[in-house]
Amino acid sequence: MIFEIEIGGRSQRVEVEPSSDGLVVRAPDGDLLVRLRPLAGSEWWRLDAGGRSVSVRLRERGAELLVTLGAARTAVGIRRALPVRSRRTGAAGGDLPIEVRAPMPGLVVDVPVAAGAVVAQGAAVAIVEAMKMQMEVPAPAAGRVEEIRVRPGQEVAGGQVLVVIRP
Amino acid sequence: MRPIRRLLIANRGEIAVRVVRACRDLGIAPLAVYAPIDAGAPHVRLADDALPLSDDAPAASYLNGALLLDLARRAEADAIHPGYGFLAENPAFAAACEAAGITFVGPPSAVLARCGDKAAARSAAASAGVSVLPGSGPVGDDEAVRQATSVGFPVLIKAVGGGGGKGIHLVRSPEELPGALRRARGEAQTAFADPRVYLERLIERARHVEVQILADAAGVVVHLGERACSVQRRHQKLIEEAPAPDLSPELREALGRAAVAVARAIGYRNAGTIEFLVDRSGFYFIEVNARIQVEHPVTESVTGVDLVAAQLRLAGGERTPVRQDDVRWTGAALECRISAEDPHSGFLPSIGRIDGVVDPSGPGIRVDSGLWVGQQVLRHYDPLLAKVIASGPTREAAITRMGRALREFLISGVDTTIPFHLWALDQPEFVQGQYDIRFADAWNGGAAPPDAERLAVLAAAAWMFHRMATPALPTDGTAPRWVAAAREEGLR
Repeated sequence: MIFEIEIGGRSQRVEVEPSSDGLVVRAPDGDLLVRLRPLAGSEWWRLDAGGRSVSVRLRERGAELLVTLGAARTAVGIRRALPVRSRRTGAAGGDLPIEVRAPMPGLVVDVPVAAGAVVAQGAAVAIVEAMKMQMEVPAPAAGRVEEIRVRPGQEVAGGQVLVVIRP
Repeated sequence: MRPIRRLLIANRGEIAVRVVRACRDLGIAPLAVYAPIDAGAPHVRLADDALPLSDDAPAASYLNGALLLDLARRAEADAIHPGYGFLAENPAFAAACEAAGITFVGPPSAVLARCGDKAAARSAAASAGVSVLPGSGPVGDDEAVRQATSVGFPVLIKAVGGGGGKGIHLVRSPEELPGALRRARGEAQTAFADPRVYLERLIERARHVEVQILADAAGVVVHLGERACSVQRRHQKLIEEAPAPDLSPELREALGRAAVAVARAIGYRNAGTIEFLVDRSGFYFIEVNARIQVEHPVTESVTGVDLVAAQLRLAGGERTPVRQDDVRWTGAALECRISAEDPHSGFLPSIGRIDGVVDPSGPGIRVDSGLWVGQQVLRHYDPLLAKVIASGPTREAAITRMGRALREFLISGVDTTIPFHLWALDQPEFVQGQYDIRFADAWNGGAAPPDAERLAVLAAAAWMFHRMATPALPTDGTAPRWVAAAREEGLR
């Protein structure tokens, strides 16, 4: 199987094949015998590779895999490499509306903006509470509030759209 | 006062487990209570009996004093231990227990009221000859704006009914004041049902040092030495240790004496903590925590005194378990709080279902944990999952053991503060014991180990291969990665 792996803004192709002793990973810098064994639950693994043995936490978040080694965490983009290039590259940005999303699941305490209001970048557009802490959700860019999709007292899921801003 | 025989534990998580254990050591029958979401929790399994609560929301469960008192009465409990948080420092609840003839394990309601009114506690400390920081009494919004100028910026807004670092907001300039007041009142209202706030001058490079005290019904107060708690994030403690590093013997003694003086001035009873800020100019009283604290185990490690057992004995009318002259401090101990927070995304609460746990243990390691496989981590409750306490003959030995234990501790299903702790233990300031309350601000996401990028690529490739090669089992729909992959392929 061939994967396209993106890490630190660089992309590389890696081929993985099963072997009697684990997996053989063929990367641009050579072949390596790799073993990945489950340690605890769905996220903790022991990785043996090139004479190193480390415990690693692998957690899926959206399309990324978050790889935690010790104190550090790295986001890795990984996908099956396909013969045809994806059409969904370089989407146009422009002045598309920006959806401001809840950073975590919680309770909307306040929406201190009104539809049609002009907000500065960094201004609070909602206040969400979780685990007894209240956090202001800032506007990622200056613009006009086009739509408010939540009201105070409403429970929201992580990533749910709170307000829409047109820059 | 009479010895406790049957104790209702009005709390959850690791502290409920801790209280069950103290009960076992003293031959007291422990009774647990649990919200539906906690049905499989360790405190439920360990107690003699567990009484169900009907709802997960705190107001209907662990914060519902009337209900808990009624349960205690019907279960024929003669005492209630409130743990920390929830009802621990609620004078009305303590008074209701007193009226019902049920022993509240903690100070009497009048003392709780005195400690809970932070402004009153400040003046009590001042009257005992202990320095306090410049600040105000409880203030309205307009008055806060006027008083802030005389207190001086940067200023902290604190909840009058507060505790545990909740509702504290730092304000650097007058413009930030109105927004911060709004948030502080909102948090204070939800957390303590009391929107009153007061102001206190911020000391920029202070250390947070607190002193554990025990006081009996006869008014005898002993202190068990100090804890350093300067590793904080959003005014929440992350790492605590005893003894406080880099403190002169004179200062240590002066802090102990000051703590005892404050406790006497307030008429304190049972176990409590007197919190101070220390800087080059001296030390200042901040508040009394009228409860058992999360970080009590580090004091237990260095003094050998079981503080929760001491609470239960004192509540039953016994004298302090040690005399001041008999208190001995041995070695050093650290505690790391393991919370369901994502240290790589601003310590945001991390919510999910725990699907795997491996606890650390071995020489010098104690784990106080409320974790269980199947546990749902909700936004309702405090994110603390477990505590790792490492002790050793020296601070250096305790730090080494803590590093070992944190690497052994595997929690699958939510993000935890462990990566932050691993980073902290590696910092020269921490290793040398020369850090203040700004220490955690330097957290930079952790240095990647050598080869990290290559290891990450290999781990991701192997993981993806297993993922693709394993026939997909029915999932709960949260992570159907192969569905997304197939869809993407179909769209090309």
